Amino acid sequence: MSREITFKYWNEISEGDAVTTITMDVPFERVILDAAATQDYFPGHHNPAYARHQGQKEIYLNTMAIEGFIDRVATDWAGPHTFIRKRQMQMRSSIYAGDMLQGEGKVEKCYEDDGRHLVDVTINISTESGLCVPAALTLELPASKTL
Amino acid sequence: MSETFNEPFPLAYGTYEDAVKLLNKPGEKVVSEFSVNWEMIKIYCSMVEDGNPSYWDEKYANKQWGGIVAPSGLLLTWPMSLQWHPQKERKHYFIAMTIPLPGDTIINVATNTEFHRHLYLGDRVSVVDELIDVSEEKKTRLGIGHFLTTKAQFFNQRDQLIAVQTNSLFRYYVPEEES
Repeated sequence: MSREITFKYWNEISEGDAVTTITMDVPFERVILDAAATQDYFPGHHNPAYARHQGQKEIYLNTMAIEGFIDRVATDWAGPHTFIRKRQMQMRSSIYAGDMLQGEGKVEKCYEDDGRHLVDVTINISTESGLCVPAALTLELPASKTL
Repeated sequence: MSETFNEPFPLAYGTYEDAVKLLNKPGEKVVSEFSVNWEMIKIYCSMVEDGNPSYWDEKYANKQWGGIVAPSGLLLTWPMSLQWHPQKERKHYFIAMTIPLPGDTIINVATNTEFHRHLYLGDRVSVVDELIDVSEEKKTRLGIGHFLTTKAQFFNQRDQLIAVQTNSLFRYYVPEEES
């Protein structure tokens, strides 16, 4: 099933604009696929007994999966012509097998720096338990649509 | 009843003082076992359901970037060591795993990354990692341990800087009465 691709340009974006919200379920299959896709076999991502030994309730997504979801929230909204210049994220609580992810965001600032057209956005990743990963990104976009 | 697991994660053990001695000493440059490849990009994108044509559509990617590029979130994956190799011992490239401390497990806390350029199909990533901070012992809701901050610089095969990542993780143990 193909999705519609949107292209935003720097001169069309304003501070306070909402970043389109995305949801994604996290079945056990996705957590195991995460370990394989990122070659990260730290046992908290595939061994429930180890995860519980760590004080976690279940196996959980790794940082790289969360990065991928954050980036997807940004680029599904801004478009595939986005270059992610900077990403800052805090893992306040884990995202477990069985959770439902939601990513939502807001434009904080639009500015030019060294000839680059930049947009700062905040993106919050939450589950049913609340905010898990707040993130701040700097996106570089084409200044305007060239005909 | 306590549960058992048969694969304790290999970490270096020691004291806070041992860890402090390793501050600001960059590790060896580690070169990825395999190059940036489209197959792994597709598997990763399918995991997060990312349909960005920069990763899937050669025609679009050639026009926009000059070729298929790797998702930023795959950066740490390229230098991951294989689970087994006929000639090499398995070795973590994350310097944080080799810092001697008492805790028997880790959890990632924060990751900040600045990206300088894209990785393209066929690129070979290398990384230099360095411990830049270690906290004194702290107690958190997860357990007792130390926060480690590391800084990693990632390069392509032409020694061009791809990204700089500062990462903080918590190396800890769960006290007996709570485990």
